[in-house]
Amino acid sequence: MIVAKRKPLGEIVEMLAPYQKITVIGCRSCVAICLAGGEKEVKMLVSALKIKNRKEGRKQQIDGFVVERQCEKEWVKEVEERILDSDVTLSMACSLGAQTIGDMYPKHLTFPGLNTGMFGVPEEQGVWSEKCIGCGNCIIHTTGGICPIARCAKSMLNGPCGGSANGKCEVNLEVDCAWVAIYDRLKLQNRLDLIENFTPAKDWSTSHSGGRRIYVREDAKLSQHQKKGKEAVQ
Amino acid sequence: MKAKIQVVLCKCCTEIPSVLRLESLSKLASESNNVMSVMTVDAICDGKQLAPVMNDVKQKELDRAVVLACHKKDVSPTLLRAYRRAGVNEFMVELVNIREEVVLPHANEPERAQAKAEAKLRAALARSLMLQPLERQTEEMKTRNVVIIGAGVAGQAAAKEAAKAGAHTVVLEKSGKTLKVPGVVMQHSTLVGAEGYGGNLKLKIRAGEKVESLDAAALVIATGGGWTQLKGSLAKAVKDAVPLYKLNEQVQVDAPIKGPVVVVDSPDPSGKTMAVQDFAWDETLETVVELKKKHPETEIWVVFQEMRAFGLSELVYKEAADAGIKFIRYDKGGVPKADPKNPGVLSVRDFSQGEQLNIRFGTLAFASIPANPDNRLIAEVLRIPMAADGGIRRGSIQRWPVSTPRPGVFVCGSALFPKSREAAEAEGEAAGAMASAFVKRGTIEFGGVVAEVEQEKCSACLTCVRTCPYEAPFIGAAGKAEIRIQACQGCGMCVGICPSKAIELRNYTDDQIMIETRTLLGGDF
Ligand code: SF4
Ligand code: SF4
Ligand code: SF4
Ligand code: SF4
Repeated sequence: MIVAKRKPLGEIVEMLAPYQKITVIGCRSCVAICLAGGEKEVKMLVSALKIKNRKEGRKQQIDGFVVERQCEKEWVKEVEERILDSDVTLSMACSLGAQTIGDMYPKHLTFPGLNTGMFGVPEEQGVWSEKCIGCGNCIIHTTGGICPIARCAKSMLNGPCGGSANGKCEVNLEVDCAWVAIYDRLKLQNRLDLIENFTPAKDWSTSHSGGRRIYVREDAKLSQHQKKGKEAVQ
Repeated sequence: MKAKIQVVLCKCCTEIPSVLRLESLSKLASESNNVMSVMTVDAICDGKQLAPVMNDVKQKELDRAVVLACHKKDVSPTLLRAYRRAGVNEFMVELVNIREEVVLPHANEPERAQAKAEAKLRAALARSLMLQPLERQTEEMKTRNVVIIGAGVAGQAAAKEAAKAGAHTVVLEKSGKTLKVPGVVMQHSTLVGAEGYGGNLKLKIRAGEKVESLDAAALVIATGGGWTQLKGSLAKAVKDAVPLYKLNEQVQVDAPIKGPVVVVDSPDPSGKTMAVQDFAWDETLETVVELKKKHPETEIWVVFQEMRAFGLSELVYKEAADAGIKFIRYDKGGVPKADPKNPGVLSVRDFSQGEQLNIRFGTLAFASIPANPDNRLIAEVLRIPMAADGGIRRGSIQRWPVSTPRPGVFVCGSALFPKSREAAEAEGEAAGAMASAFVKRGTIEFGGVVAEVEQEKCSACLTCVRTCPYEAPFIGAAGKAEIRIQACQGCGMCVGICPSKAIELRNYTDDQIMIETRTLLGGDF
């Protein structure tokens, strides 16, 4: 899932300072589950802002609620009035949600309340770790199911590098070396021969380096005819 | 139907009026919305004074009450029972502690006390109007088994006591020792899993190679203390050290003891400092004094890091010192050591003289015993808290000395913290009696203040499932969280952490808490 973290309160206060009417909108999916932007976090932020305003003698009208998935127009549309009725919307979804609102209402101001971080996995309650960067061409069947692009600091394809020591990564001694993990896993699977294979440089065009990516599924798209029909119904 | 509130002001004999003006509290109450009756009583904890209060409830057909008295635990069970009989749902009775929370801390500032009491009364009245009647449910226990973990001193005492009271006992013993205790004894067996709740627990027991399941109504943890061998560097040099209780037994039965005798305070003096064990000191002092009496010619040394001889033990210490027993204190820089090449000599730096001593000994005994490392596993399996020193934590030293926070799970002896034989035996008996009384009820009561999921809002994030210490929440067939109310203890942890605010604790909902807080602080926020 997408894992995000709330921005520090001071930064949010500064961002919102010039405005009177503020709407805070969370999302009930990924960011709720990673405890960053669900209903509880929205309510807590609204209370924190109100307390801070009262202490510092600022007057703002702040309101907060959540939508099912902020990255989908249909869900956002349901709360359109509440968005447009404010001076600024603070999105507590990931940046996809914030940009969906921004794209739908380009004149309206939509600010991010979270820092969107990574595709992560909850390792235990309250701990998330990055395991994929969305490079667009998955290779983990050759690396024991462990992604070296996301989990190795240098995204090495033929590891480990010379800095790997005692199972830890030279870039950050608190982090496990991905290539040691790959070696151990391949050994467990009796496929250690794979580590000898030389992997040539990766084609990064499927990744972000090729520019903004757009995926299309032709068979799922609505035809012009269908679209017209829907518009007519609405 | 309109809410009808009864307000009761308890004087706590004379304690409360000595600081608070009860007439003005009474006036405030009677002028508040929905208050139908205000009564002042001398002591609500006195059963005789309950009758007029309950008659008032019945006569005026009141449906809820706000009682200003002392700590909940002191008054609540009897009081709530009386209200229940008078027709008031016990969850509609709001108790306000004006003794410990108002009168005692503000004894010298009556004005502040009065203002605080008034604010608390207003808040309780506001909350009272928001309360909902709740029901409790019952479930039959499917077994009468009392399972006892550990067959040491405490475990055996627990088994005997529970059996005497008619319970069916199953004793799990880690070793292969044979025992004369009533009921079933499973040797070489340990607890490895537990599902369910007190009354209907499903245990997983590893017995030898096999894992068996066993139904239990109640459980007694009697795992005893930890190491009974020397640890650390001393262990390499001294092969025949004895725990203090063994030395004590030898003294009692007049077994030959090879002098000189040295008692060190811990089986691993160079290890982490352990919590000081008073019992170990009492037992050390008594043992060495007795030994000296029986064998005046034997040279005796007590080597310790910190000693606390409490109360009358001080006299025993004096007796020991007068009899010529030598007490040597060491600190972390000079812990006792022995050299394998030179066995029979303990070298330690005397802290008070700063001098290195080499003490020749014939017998080395060690006093305190650390907590049993098995406690951690058992606490994890049963999801009960541990104390900082590695023992199992009990409910409350005054009120629930052999209970854990989980209903139906009891604890005794050195599993709590190391203690003497007599104390362990007494606790074992208490735990056995508690367990059999629990089982005798035959039914489990649950419900009332429990968590409830508003499924519409649930994101199935599993946070509550991971958080609940009692494994009450689970993701049900609808793909949303549900609460197993038999297991829910109403602790509210899931409520606080649910990211979608999908869970509320009955009668502690956000609205109920907010209205109380707002009234208390007199603010609009
Ligand atoms: S906006 Fe979409 S991607 Fe972002 S947190 Fe919500 S559901 Fe997930
Ligand atoms: S030490 Fe391991 S994880 Fe770190 S950069 Fe080198 S190969 Fe990658
Ligand atoms: S914590 Fe809340 S949202 Fe998550 S599963 Fe439990 S009830 Fe549902
Ligand atoms: S209130 Fe406590 S015991 Fe009940 S389900 Fe929630 S976390 Fe578990």
